[in-house]
Amino acid sequence: MALTDETDVVRTEEMLLNVGPQHPSTHGVFRMVVKISGETILEAEPVIGYLHRGTEKLAENLQYTQIIPYTDRLDYVSAMLNNYSLVHTVEEALGIAIPDRAEYIRVITMELNRLASHLIFFGTYLLDLGAMTPFLYAFEEREKIIDMFNELCGARITFNYMRIGGVKYDTPPGWLEQVDAFVKRMKGEMVKYRNLVTGNEIFLARVRGVGKYTTEQALGHGMSGINLRCTGYNWDLRKKKPYSIYDRFDWEVPLGKNGDCWDRYILHMEEMEQSLRIVEQALQQIQPGPVLAKVPKLIRVPAGEYYSGIEGTRGELGFYIVSDGKDKPYRLKIRRPSFENLQILPIILKGVPVGDMVAILGSIDPVLGEVGA
Amino acid sequence: MSDEPRKPSEENQPSEPRNPSPQRTQDPGGQGAEAIARTAMNPSPGPAGPAATKQPPEKTPEGAEKSVGASGASDVKTGTAGAAAQSAKPAAKPAAKKAPPPPDPRAVAAKEKADEIKAVLIAKLGASAVVETGAAHFTPMLLIDRGKWSDAVTALRDDPAWDLNYLECMAGTDYPEYIEVVVYLQSTELGHFVCMKTRTPRDGAKVPSLAPIYPVANWEEREIFDLLGVTFTGHPDMRRIMMWEEFEGHPLRKDYSVWD
Repeated sequence: MALTDETDVVRTEEMLLNVGPQHPSTHGVFRMVVKISGETILEAEPVIGYLHRGTEKLAENLQYTQIIPYTDRLDYVSAMLNNYSLVHTVEEALGIAIPDRAEYIRVITMELNRLASHLIFFGTYLLDLGAMTPFLYAFEEREKIIDMFNELCGARITFNYMRIGGVKYDTPPGWLEQVDAFVKRMKGEMVKYRNLVTGNEIFLARVRGVGKYTTEQALGHGMSGINLRCTGYNWDLRKKKPYSIYDRFDWEVPLGKNGDCWDRYILHMEEMEQSLRIVEQALQQIQPGPVLAKVPKLIRVPAGEYYSGIEGTRGELGFYIVSDGKDKPYRLKIRRPSFENLQILPIILKGVPVGDMVAILGSIDPVLGEVGA
Repeated sequence: MSDEPRKPSEENQPSEPRNPSPQRTQDPGGQGAEAIARTAMNPSPGPAGPAATKQPPEKTPEGAEKSVGASGASDVKTGTAGAAAQSAKPAAKPAAKKAPPPPDPRAVAAKEKADEIKAVLIAKLGASAVVETGAAHFTPMLLIDRGKWSDAVTALRDDPAWDLNYLECMAGTDYPEYIEVVVYLQSTELGHFVCMKTRTPRDGAKVPSLAPIYPVANWEEREIFDLLGVTFTGHPDMRRIMMWEEFEGHPLRKDYSVWD
């Protein structure tokens, strides 16, 4: 694009470059066919489907409780939120009241999982941009969260912890104190991350003003979560369509300004702090009690259609269920935030240098398990 | 696949506390015989279902016996009839329970809102645009005529009173007679949340594309095209997205066999 005038001086040829599907910077099996001229991207076409496992089709032959482990494998770095989104939709359809303690445990685990997921973003994004150290710091802390989850439900990544009506297990003795100690420690770590990365000049040069889009573009492309809020648009489902018990906590929605990679990065960092705030308050408020409501063994959703979305780590994560009154869904559609978020890539990649491609893709923070479903 | 679920339902039939005749009519095996039995039971030309449930329970075994006689008294049928006679007594219970449950006020409000939107659309696009209104759980639901699909969505997006600027979720569902395309639209400023759908025949399924209106519909429609075989007319890039180009069939259709 920019080179058209210079072609007389330096001759370049258009070239098709295949990035992925096996490429470390694509965060999974994601392929981009990029047409470049010299160092400039003329066109970029995302190719997806390498991780399509037919979750929606499989779900049609599974009972609602049996679908929960399949949701773990969508966005595999924040499985708690996937679990919750499904059980939340079914609970809405059934109109079940959830015990208080279960809601608190859910919020604590979801926010910790959001934190763990953002830590992965922090680590891998900087790794993409060539900084090795933050990755090690991030994974050290993430490992602590994962260990706590392991103690809670016996799995490190694919938790299968939420149930329709509550959660599977109550917290083991001493678990909440462990979380409390972690939150206190993590607050200090956040300061460390800021000192380490946020003011770094090389990093700023790589991300400031790169990969910009406007609020209108973001809304039109169905973007949600941080990818929408980075444009300065206040849209967080935890505030806008309150679910669970998020209205009992005092926290803020961090907003960006310019919609560039820098804003997306800094919003991830600020959201981690907000998650810590929520967990802290939840730990103070949580009371002993039952963790699973009385629900029938065989859950039959009344015939009808239900859609409900929650604020996932990457944006709005929703389940659309069509039920014919049986114990299995007639149709289950998953609104996967990464799938929608990726669609803007051809627009924001147009005309940028090849070197920025990785910075832009990383800042969108896709998880390919969710894109392929 | 399609035969599988029918078997257990046939076995369960006797234990179900319901009058057997309305269910039996769904049995494809003895449809002709069933019809004869039905007319024998209810000489009135009204629909068989409700009329049969109103019958006093003592008459049920007699009716069931008649149906057996007419269908040639196969072993399965006699078994069903015998069990039906036993289950005739509890049959009265659900009939009594069937007093219409009071509609949820939220569902009523959703239906009212849907009617409000219907009036807006009819004023703009003519009376044929909206086929049906209702509530999808507590969300206003409108069934739009397929020909007016993209016009209706555009009209609501551009109407400042509704301003549905955000396509939240798009899905396709395969029903026995038609394929339904559903969108959940949101007004991020005004807080409206609307479910709109349209239907297309399963053979040669075609729906006008929403991709020119909402860019997000681009991949969503490609996914529906790929998995359900609905072609979106006016879509800029109608290709498979999840499966590979050479793949045959559309996996999310109910008649697709997973075991091929």
